Amino acid sequence: MQSHSLADRVIRWVERIAGATLGLVTVLIVISSLGRYGFAKPVPDAFDLSRLILGVAIMWGFASLGYRGSHIKVDILAQAVPRGVLRVMNSIAWSVLLIFTALLVWKIFGRVVNAQAGGDATMDLRLPHWPFFAAIWAGLVAALFTTAWRLWLIAVRGRDLDDFESIDDLIREGEARE
Amino acid sequence: QEVTLRLSHWVPATIAPAAAGIEPWARSVEEASDGRIEIQIFPAQQIGAAPDHYDMARDGIADITWVNPGYTAGRFPIFSLVEVPFHVTDSVQGAKAIHEWYAQYVEDEMSEVKFCVMHPHAPGALHSKEPMRVPSDIEGKNIRPAHATMARFVSQLGGAPVQVPAPEVREAISRGTADAVTFPWGAMYDFNLTNETDHHLDMPFYLSMQVMVLNPDSYAGLSDENKAVLDEHCSPEWSAEIAKGWAEDDMSARERLMEDDSQTFYQPTEEEVALWQDSAQGVLDAWKEEVADRGHDADAIYDSYIEHLERYGIRY
Amino acid sequence: MSNEVVAFAGFAALFALMILRVPIGIAMGLVGIGGFGAIVGMKPALNLLAQSPIRTVTDFNLTLIPFFILMGVLATNSGMSRELFRTGRAWLGSFKGGLGLASVGACAGFAAICGSSVATAATMTKIAYPEMKRAGYPDDAATGIVAAGGTLGILIPPSVVLAVYGFITEQDVGVLFVAGVVPGLLAVLMYMATVRIAYGATLPAGEPFTLREALASLRGVWAVILLFAAVVLSIYLGIVTATEAAAAGAFLTAVIGFLRGRLTLSTLMSSLVEALRTSVAIYTILIGAILFGYFLAITRVPQELTTFLTELGLGRYGTLLLILLVFMILGMFLDAMAMIILMVPIVFPVILELGFDPIWFGVIIVMTVELGLITPPVGMNVYVINSIASRVSLPTIFKGVLPFVLADVLRLILLIAFPALVLFLPGSME
Ligand code: NA
Ligand code: NA
Repeated sequence: MQSHSLADRVIRWVERIAGATLGLVTVLIVISSLGRYGFAKPVPDAFDLSRLILGVAIMWGFASLGYRGSHIKVDILAQAVPRGVLRVMNSIAWSVLLIFTALLVWKIFGRVVNAQAGGDATMDLRLPHWPFFAAIWAGLVAALFTTAWRLWLIAVRGRDLDDFESIDDLIREGEARE
Repeated sequence: QEVTLRLSHWVPATIAPAAAGIEPWARSVEEASDGRIEIQIFPAQQIGAAPDHYDMARDGIADITWVNPGYTAGRFPIFSLVEVPFHVTDSVQGAKAIHEWYAQYVEDEMSEVKFCVMHPHAPGALHSKEPMRVPSDIEGKNIRPAHATMARFVSQLGGAPVQVPAPEVREAISRGTADAVTFPWGAMYDFNLTNETDHHLDMPFYLSMQVMVLNPDSYAGLSDENKAVLDEHCSPEWSAEIAKGWAEDDMSARERLMEDDSQTFYQPTEEEVALWQDSAQGVLDAWKEEVADRGHDADAIYDSYIEHLERYGIRY
Repeated sequence: MSNEVVAFAGFAALFALMILRVPIGIAMGLVGIGGFGAIVGMKPALNLLAQSPIRTVTDFNLTLIPFFILMGVLATNSGMSRELFRTGRAWLGSFKGGLGLASVGACAGFAAICGSSVATAATMTKIAYPEMKRAGYPDDAATGIVAAGGTLGILIPPSVVLAVYGFITEQDVGVLFVAGVVPGLLAVLMYMATVRIAYGATLPAGEPFTLREALASLRGVWAVILLFAAVVLSIYLGIVTATEAAAAGAFLTAVIGFLRGRLTLSTLMSSLVEALRTSVAIYTILIGAILFGYFLAITRVPQELTTFLTELGLGRYGTLLLILLVFMILGMFLDAMAMIILMVPIVFPVILELGFDPIWFGVIIVMTVELGLITPPVGMNVYVINSIASRVSLPTIFKGVLPFVLADVLRLILLIAFPALVLFLPGSME
């Protein structure tokens, strides 16, 4: 169980960082609109920065969903089959997710390289795009590991998808353990 | 050889650049090939987002794409000279002149695709809620720029560039997110802006240039006679031809606005024009610096640009 | 293989993967890539992955989705959804089936500050279902009420589905939100009527009404009213764009939560994480649906369908009904967001050509896909309720929700017959 709780802890940190990033983007847009309406001085590159940073948060969140199994999916057949069949089904489903994630890791790496070589930049400050894309890619790499981990839990340990309670329970559980 | 080529662009099929530019070009290719070439057009971002169209041609997602290099700041530094304001008075001759000029550098910037034609809209203008006549009027105002170069220009004059997609400009203006917009004349009607921005600074302010490019493998795979048809359609003359339909649409929109009593036009005096042109020096300097940083001879490229504009008598 | 066959095979593969529990977005994405590859070539198809997903997650026009989700999560975590239910119960609880009426009312109140139906259903299930259960409500009625009430989440503004419709059709999202207000209120009234008509006889009466409790309950809901007013009025009055209103709404919800001592840094963090997870689930669907949409476009089947539809000669309303029928049938199998992304580009040109108002159609089509949230076999609201109240089986919930499906159809007919119900409010914006 030791390795399992380590994975949980890592995921929780990944989620906290991604969640904080979402909060950051919210504040950025609020400040930018205050600046724009209140003082006729918008934050430079607020448009490009908010969308690029949010992209990073979303792709790191992708790692979380790969682990937790909480992607949106159709459960109707899953509920009707016996436990053993369900295990096979879940294994197939998460293998497919793993393949898709691997394809993304491969192709988006190319996008990072292209953006770096091509000099893509933001509109106002001409900040290069590639570090943001690289951060997005890193989130996908994390997703590759977390998805593989969940697949292992399903196939070897016989665990289900979504076998988590709400975030509150998780945090309480985490605090109790620490 | 019978072949189907897929052409992707990102505007609705009904508006001028598509209906009076891309579509006639494609039909002319089909006719000139006696029907051997069929061109399937995918409008309105059906198979890819607008800023991705260069990459889509490079990667073979479509055989032919219509690209606005201005959507990807920093990617095509030499090209962005055409976005520096107050240089060109006429878009049809401009298309030809700029095609001939840019053909010298296309290998430096667009080597991953086959360059075909390029064409701007008729020179765009500044449209605002309140009158704007001289560069200092930009100060403290929120302006929706046409592209990254105009954004830099607005910043240098003490204004704030506001990035919103073209279809949302009306919303942004009516909500006070932006006070003015640089747009081609036709956009006043295309995006229903006549009630929002009824002051127009009537001078050839800036260009925004579109480029049609081909996937190199798709081109290489054509038979010699089909290649010949495309070569014939990828020429400075065809650049001007494609520019014509859009320019006519823009200029007739301008006429219509002039006849409309609710719209106010302002013709800058010679001194004011000089003020505007001087005010753009900073953008030009920034352009030169960026191009020099990439290892090009910026002055030589600029001189050649001016020479081409003068050759066709369209330098502002 | 002809393109039509490839498109058909694509749909078959999609449903096969979906039923095997592959995440819906991933199934659409993979089939999209595979299908595009079958027609254009595998190399370019894989290159779609280099561009499209990154473009989707960094699209500024979609950033309001996580903000409106975050607003709902923060509202719940600072006790607002519980207060909504308490208010509903204080005012309506004394009627026969009063807890059901209170649940619908609380769903409506929550929908006014949350952009998602699934989130509305999930939140209200946690609060209202245990109460109804305790009061002796049968399972089908109790879960049916929250499943249907949850669909208000995407009709009453803010709405992520209306936002995606605006994104695709280039309509003003703010105007779309304002257009959703009256149909949303109509939906609330009709759902309450449905509770009484369909279940009234079987449901127990609640506690007696006391003015003291009714007035006391109002003290709690001012924050919800303030937030809804701030967001929707600032859009209606043209003060800010929808994206700015979304960010400001989430921000204000957090500020209010802190001021009332209901939020701590730790609950703020858990709210951000929860909102992020929900948002990522939606973005996965967006990524997949956009890829699948590219595949459909390249087969040219949508273009042919559009031509086919216009040439059928069914007349304005005949064509509209056919379109809605197709949406309803597909809605049984597809996710709401995915349907909008896949199907709206196909039918939108037809709608414009027939002279229907694009804002009105946005509301109509959202109501149509809303049906899909509560109809079998793929009914997201029903799934999410089932995952929370896991002792109630899927068929029981589907059965309980049936009367509300009929109410939805009736409302759809009303709004098609009287488009002014949708359009007069946005028409008054300028
Ligand atoms: Na809502
Ligand atoms: Na359904």
